[in-house]
Amino acid sequence: MAPQAQPTAEHATAMQEFLHNLRQLPRTLKDATFRVGRLPESEREESQATFHNLFLHIHSVRVHARTLAPTLTFGLGLISAASFLILCITGVLLMVYYKPSTALAYDSVKDIHFVVFTGRFMRNIHRWAAHIMVVTVFLHMARVFYTGSYKKPREFNWLVGLGLLVLTLALSFTGYLLPYDQLAYWAITIGSNIANSPRELTDAVGITQWFDPGGFQKQLLLGANYVGEDALIRFYILHVFVLPALLIILLGVHFWRIRKDGGLARPEDPMGGQAEWGGQMRRVFEPLATKTYGLMAVVKGKRPPVNRGPENTVMSWPHLLWAELAVLMLTVAITLALSLVSDAPLKELANPAVPENPAKAPWYFLGLQELVSYSAFMGGMMIPTITMAGLALIPFLDRRPGGEGLWFGTAGEKQVTRWSFFYGLAVAVGMLVFTVNFGWLRNWFPDIHQLWIIVINPGSVLVLLYAGGSLWVMKRRNSVRLAAVALFTCFLVGFTVLTYFASVHRGPNWQFYWWPSQWPVH
Amino acid sequence: MRDPSKLFRWTLLLASLLTIALLLIAAFRENFSAEWYRLQNDYRTLLHARATDSSGRELERNFRVELKQVSVPALGVVDRCVSCHNGIDDPRMTDVPVPHRVHSGDVLKNHPADRFGCTVCHQGQGAATNFHDAKAEDAFWDYPLLPRALTQATCLMCHDANYLASKAPGQVALLTEGARLYQEKSCASCHKIGGRGGTLGAALDNVGLKTKHQFILSNLRGSHTTWNWHLAHFRDPGAIVDGSQMKNPTVTEHEAQSLTAYMLSLRQRDVPESYLAPDKIEEKYRALNRLPLSGEQAYRQFCFACHGNGTYGRWDKTFRRFIPAIRGTVAAVADRQYLEAQISSGRPGTQMPAWNQQAGGLMPVEIQSLAEFLQAGAAAQGLRPAAAGTAPALPAGDATRGAGLFAQNCAGCHGPAGHAGMAPEISNPAFLSAASDGFIAATIRYGRRNTAMPAFQKPGATGLSDAEISDLIAFLRSLGPKSAPGVARSGGDSGRQRSSGGTP
Repeated sequence: MAPQAQPTAEHATAMQEFLHNLRQLPRTLKDATFRVGRLPESEREESQATFHNLFLHIHSVRVHARTLAPTLTFGLGLISAASFLILCITGVLLMVYYKPSTALAYDSVKDIHFVVFTGRFMRNIHRWAAHIMVVTVFLHMARVFYTGSYKKPREFNWLVGLGLLVLTLALSFTGYLLPYDQLAYWAITIGSNIANSPRELTDAVGITQWFDPGGFQKQLLLGANYVGEDALIRFYILHVFVLPALLIILLGVHFWRIRKDGGLARPEDPMGGQAEWGGQMRRVFEPLATKTYGLMAVVKGKRPPVNRGPENTVMSWPHLLWAELAVLMLTVAITLALSLVSDAPLKELANPAVPENPAKAPWYFLGLQELVSYSAFMGGMMIPTITMAGLALIPFLDRRPGGEGLWFGTAGEKQVTRWSFFYGLAVAVGMLVFTVNFGWLRNWFPDIHQLWIIVINPGSVLVLLYAGGSLWVMKRRNSVRLAAVALFTCFLVGFTVLTYFASVHRGPNWQFYWWPSQWPVH
Repeated sequence: MRDPSKLFRWTLLLASLLTIALLLIAAFRENFSAEWYRLQNDYRTLLHARATDSSGRELERNFRVELKQVSVPALGVVDRCVSCHNGIDDPRMTDVPVPHRVHSGDVLKNHPADRFGCTVCHQGQGAATNFHDAKAEDAFWDYPLLPRALTQATCLMCHDANYLASKAPGQVALLTEGARLYQEKSCASCHKIGGRGGTLGAALDNVGLKTKHQFILSNLRGSHTTWNWHLAHFRDPGAIVDGSQMKNPTVTEHEAQSLTAYMLSLRQRDVPESYLAPDKIEEKYRALNRLPLSGEQAYRQFCFACHGNGTYGRWDKTFRRFIPAIRGTVAAVADRQYLEAQISSGRPGTQMPAWNQQAGGLMPVEIQSLAEFLQAGAAAQGLRPAAAGTAPALPAGDATRGAGLFAQNCAGCHGPAGHAGMAPEISNPAFLSAASDGFIAATIRYGRRNTAMPAFQKPGATGLSDAEISDLIAFLRSLGPKSAPGVARSGGDSGRQRSSGGTP
């Protein structure tokens, strides 16, 4: 007879042990799941909570207290990321019912709206989160710029951020087509015509027959010469798989570089004074010359801030975590509130025979559409390229340290920002007023060669005036940073003014109207 | 020391509470505030009150409060109207309010909802689950719910109007009246249906399926629906479409309604063959094998709107052009070929379109009948075709002398060089190439009765001499196309020698 397993001292029988273990299951399960097993009680356990967790270890264990200052970042990057999270969740739910086919797409969205349980709510949330994400990504970029946070060693992360901006716009744009209603159809038609805009140049030169990058871009985007089944399936794949995957990868890099680049940009802490240590405020000691304080290369570049003032840091667990959760829930609450109040638009079924007039691109491309209305090539190709190149070059052309992590951190920035705001506003508004009232070259010289208009049009004049203003600042103030501030401010103002103008004041046939209520209905 | 995350914890708490509250609101709205939810509960009460026999009790027992829909894949229909209109097929529900009431009439007997759906006949947004969106007048939907009186318009997708008029005259009264008015008002003079009709107005083949975005709504008061547009437009076309040339026949309100119903019935929708009524198939067959109209019928349908009864010429204010009296002198003087050529090819550059098979859709035999009808009209007024022998032969003319005569006698109405003024444009190439010298000479000699064109050769040989007339013709020919003299010109008394087309 095989020897019986000996019951332990605590349990007389196996049955008792079994029942005991069963009762203990919740606790043992918890212990097995969470490596620490209970809420941390000391700073050591708090640090373990951070770096023993797959998701939390993207944080450093301690962050500088400034990181938590609400007015430093306004949580804009976090709101974008939170919106993306909301978009992923609601997006997957919408995918369950959405059918990417021109014959079924519209009806499936109608079903989502009318009969799918909470479908209308989910779709509204998805729509609002997308708008919030686009807006906050722009604002986040502005925050990083005006706090000088792109400077060394954060140049690369600025570039990653630009990539994320492009992906965000691409995601929103591809999602625009999916309902396959009139709004979607004509907005994407306009958008794909912007992709087609190099053709204006090749047409003007007369080489389209042999060299047609515009037509190629448009066909690549739509899979055809018009918006239809091929375009819809392309946009769907891009929207639900390719672009989100790319965005998640870039987002990972973005977060990882924040940590590796030493957290949020901040000025050096001042020497001396008091610092919190062991729960008490103590005077900071000067470092001993005979001792080495650089311990390890946890972060790139500098040593831990031992001899540069009080260690003004807080534990990531729980403080940063609270902050992040608060921003996440705030974003959720705002998105839900908007979604209860306002439905995502769904117009009539897409009808290629009945063009929307005016057919307008998604709102964040309306500024471009305004420029395209002057010259397709300049507005749709050159100016966006110049703008993106200019934004990408900022951290490499402005390399003088100083002002990191401070709003308008170097001398004169506030003043330059203020004046460039007014300058940018005056130039953009002036240009629009002039163009609406007096027309442009084609109105004055009807037979003029198109090349002239491609080169000289309100859009290119706007860019030249902005660039000129920036160069003037550089010469006058002898500062690359201030020139960048001037140019960036002009870019933001120009973008906003053009977007506003095209949304509100452009009506049928791209004519000027004071208000949409004055449009001739038709 | 100050807690660095106190602000965030409070924010988190408030945001979380807000989120929970918003989710509760959403859950309530989703589950309990739906219109159909309340209506189905009301209906269940009605069922209970009427559950007096076993079948009634069974109906009550089987009733579930849930979204209901009719799905007809063959027609592309998914209609959720039955989520609120629960009683449409329950004959006991006669004295209850809409939406619980039984469907009116006996339409459902031959058109059961599960085979036809609702929106095929009524239009509206079938996918919707509340009345506002189902009616869809202010919703983004191309085909809003038809008003009750106009619902008959959709019958013609599967039925022939004449058949329905004979079977159930009361139900399609507006439609029958509208189709009759379309012919009576001679709408086809300017509008095409099925390839037959004029070109001045829009073709109407699929006008019933046009969406409101295909109409100019800027001047339309009231609801922006296509039927409201049609109604207002029939009352006063010019008030709805700026610069409209549409004749403004005085229509009564009832006529406007009838014509609107007829307009809405013009739908080219591909309905599966199994849904087409036999009478519809016969109608389609008849359209493909059309019997020719008589001259009078054709005149009434295709000419009357502009030419009236054709015995008086008149100045048309909207066209800013003279409309000739085509059943007057011209029909008497010109020969059959000339008239048929004018009808077939029309008068390019004027409002008169071409009516041949490819253009206006008239069969050759109908054009012949029309020409006959015109001549018969002239004959009825005592106007006789100019006998070939009575008019003296014309001597050769001189265009230079003719120019002087034209300036004295003709330019006042026909304009200098004949291409302006209030009278017909006689330099029109279509006219000059079709009109023979004899026809022109006869017109100058005898004038055109009941028009402003007087006779220029009075009895007793006053007025223009034959020589002067031939000078005039020579001048007119010099205005026309510089075609080779050999080109055949159909026209009256072609046996006569044509004066030279010499140019100065």
